[in-house]
Amino acid sequence: MQKLRYLELLKINNESQKLNVESTRSYIDDLYSQDPSKCLSSIICIKNSVIGSNRQKESVIAQGIVPRLIYLLRDQKTKVTVRIETAVTLGSLAKGTDDHVELLVNSGTIQILLDLLEEDDPRLIDACLCCLRTLLHHSSAADVRYNIKHFQKLLTFAGPSESLQRQSCVASILNSVCRSPAEQNLLCSVGAHSILAPLLATQNHSVRISVVECLATMSFNNTGVAGEIINTFCKDTKLPNYLETLTSRDQPVDMQLGAAKCLTNLHRAGAIPAYDPIVTYRTLPCLVRLCQVEHSEVHRAAAANTLANLTEVDSNLQQIAAISNQLVSALVNLLNCPSVAARGAAFRAFASLGANDEDIRKRIIDTKCLMDRVVSGLGDENKEIRLAAVRCLHSLSRSVQQLRTTFQDHSVWHPLMALLTDNPSTELLTAASSALCNLLLEFSPAKEPMIQQGVVQLLATITSQPDPSLRLNGVWALMNLAFQAEQRLKSQILTTLGTDQIFRLLADPDTKVLMKTLGLLRNLVSPRTHTDTMMALHGPQVMQGVVLVLEGPHSPEVKEQALCILGNIADGERARDHIMSNEDVLKKLIDYMTHPAPCLQESAVFCINNLARRGEPGAVERQTRLKDLGVVNILHQLLSTTDTILFNRVKAALTQFADCCSS
Amino acid sequence: MSFSEKHDITTKEDWVKLLEDNDLGRTNMNKLIMNYLVTEGFKEAAEKFQQESGVIPSVDLHSLDDRISIRDAIMTGRIQEATALINQLHPELLDNDRHLYFHLQQLHLIELIRNNRIEEALAFAQSHLSEAGEEDPSVLAELERTVALLAFEEPLTCPFGDLLAPSHRQKVASEVNAAILKMEHQEATAPKISTLLKLILWAQDKLNKKNIKYPKLTDLAAATIEEPK
Repeated sequence: MQKLRYLELLKINNESQKLNVESTRSYIDDLYSQDPSKCLSSIICIKNSVIGSNRQKESVIAQGIVPRLIYLLRDQKTKVTVRIETAVTLGSLAKGTDDHVELLVNSGTIQILLDLLEEDDPRLIDACLCCLRTLLHHSSAADVRYNIKHFQKLLTFAGPSESLQRQSCVASILNSVCRSPAEQNLLCSVGAHSILAPLLATQNHSVRISVVECLATMSFNNTGVAGEIINTFCKDTKLPNYLETLTSRDQPVDMQLGAAKCLTNLHRAGAIPAYDPIVTYRTLPCLVRLCQVEHSEVHRAAAANTLANLTEVDSNLQQIAAISNQLVSALVNLLNCPSVAARGAAFRAFASLGANDEDIRKRIIDTKCLMDRVVSGLGDENKEIRLAAVRCLHSLSRSVQQLRTTFQDHSVWHPLMALLTDNPSTELLTAASSALCNLLLEFSPAKEPMIQQGVVQLLATITSQPDPSLRLNGVWALMNLAFQAEQRLKSQILTTLGTDQIFRLLADPDTKVLMKTLGLLRNLVSPRTHTDTMMALHGPQVMQGVVLVLEGPHSPEVKEQALCILGNIADGERARDHIMSNEDVLKKLIDYMTHPAPCLQESAVFCINNLARRGEPGAVERQTRLKDLGVVNILHQLLSTTDTILFNRVKAALTQFADCCSS
Repeated sequence: MSFSEKHDITTKEDWVKLLEDNDLGRTNMNKLIMNYLVTEGFKEAAEKFQQESGVIPSVDLHSLDDRISIRDAIMTGRIQEATALINQLHPELLDNDRHLYFHLQQLHLIELIRNNRIEEALAFAQSHLSEAGEEDPSVLAELERTVALLAFEEPLTCPFGDLLAPSHRQKVASEVNAAILKMEHQEATAPKISTLLKLILWAQDKLNKKNIKYPKLTDLAAATIEEPK
């Protein structure tokens, strides 16, 4: 009982917190003293109290000492010993909570520390470098502007004769500040890679790991920088070959991971081809090995993430990975781990493995309870997990067979629709709408229930998003939805989307969006059985849209799509009047018959052929009208073409005019 | 040489002769000894040994001073002083390794209890140690054991008396020593000779399990080798 009583006393309460502040008050007062020795002993006391304890950090910060610390640090008249201890103390505060880091960053500490690197005292420099490393590692400090001088200065501390601590600090700092192509290019231009690469030959693991991490960050998605890095040397060995040795089992796991990540990034940036043995036989097996159950959860998660990145595009790598060493079951195991990082990484790895190959997808889906995990992942409380699960679903939804079986069994559309209507982030919306595109293909059983749930309205909203990839997905999904759909649904799509929105999409700055919008229009006015009805209801709008595109400054590929829509309209018995009665469109059509781009000539002739088709009501009048406009003459001239497709179409069109010509 | 001949060393004499033929060389032995002295922080012995053997230590012997004074402070119960010294030597160490920090704080609490400064001990536990329990549930058990010392009239004889034994100080001191070595970028935090000794014991254990006859090293300290039995 007595023991319990004492434990009870331990519970922190306001009383003891207050007591704590009281006892620190006296030495904190001396921090403001003009007497250097008093100030020094005060700062040392503060340092010793805050190191190791977040509660003490909180306490001294609450007493408002940060501005004073920053003043002491900057003031060149302050004794250097005081400034060193101040930098150390700030470095300790930076190892506190996120709030502490944020406060320091918002107080401009990073900029001040960078400026202090110009000073002479080596101990002050050491303390500043350590503090910078900690601050930058823990914050996404956005508004610090790094210029070429900062990078050059930092790199002087990474030279071969500098201490291991400095080298490690510099690599870690540069890794943290390298956030965009701008910094990658800047670092590359000052030769960071060629200064850091030789450090891989040092005996110290922490330096080497910092260096590979930094090189990995520099080359991420940056073709130019990656190309420079592969031509860098370490001890007369080209960097990729040197990194290869660091993926061996005898290296610490963090080192293997870092080296594999660096090689992965170099490959993805196009500097090392997928078939290079370094990628296929070293990087990939290393990552597969590190995904196995015997490694720690953190390492496995990191390995699975890198593996997902490595195998995202290349089918061959996906196939090798999928048959390697029970990878699928190791990833399923990772999926059952508690941490967000582990589960997210497993989903991402599955998404990559199943991206291209139907057999792999089948194997993944057949794995025990995988689909249950995906479905529950869609409704997870963590947004990272939801995003990763949606990406995985998107990858697996490329399988026609799975769409019709497993997806149906699990009603995956249900949680997906719930996600989409729950105010999702842009990233999530992009991934989810990509999956939607597949789920709305005409053979997908999920299509009907999703229409019932209002997917048309949802997609119409997505087409007006500011992000071009979202607009693309929205239009694409609608295009899929409209393919061979019932008349009723087509009308619903047109009405929901609205004429204004269609015109906006036809004027979209992104060509891909424009192309899919034209594809949507084409699906709406075909097949022949629907053409007349659709044109009767929405004829003027569709024609206006087509003219808009034909008159715009677009590439032949785009205009070809517009001409194809005219071809479909020309196929409809009554619909073709929309073209025949429109002098402007007719003239354009005839102009395209002699356009330099063959694809446009072909489409225009195809359209003429449909308009002039014999034996249909009003054919004679239409043929006469076209002949008056000079169509037959042009067709005769086109007979001399060397393009076989065009030639066949021209011949076909001329046979329609046979009667007309002979009479 | 046939396979059977290779296994012919069945007598102690043969074995010892083989050992002598494969002389490691005095220099290598000396390096091992120096490595042991430096890693464990025996500065004076290392200096003497350097004079006698001429082996150059792998690190500057002055750098041992800090580790020695930290070890001394811990072994004599001056924990706050030791903490301050650690912070001066490696300011990032105790922030990075909060578990080690907890062990130092815990040891300070133990010292207060040892000296019967109960009021102070309670205040210290409240203001400094409860935090560790909040952040890391695994240290809670250790914390409870320590605070339980307060509950007994004679802590030394209580079930948690081991915390007051010198061996506990020794344990924390070694932990600190290893952490500092790691911080100073020395890959091995244990002397190489202890790894070799472990290797001998492991190898003999394997041989014993397979009932193989061999000349056995029975006393590590005196290097006594017995006839195969």
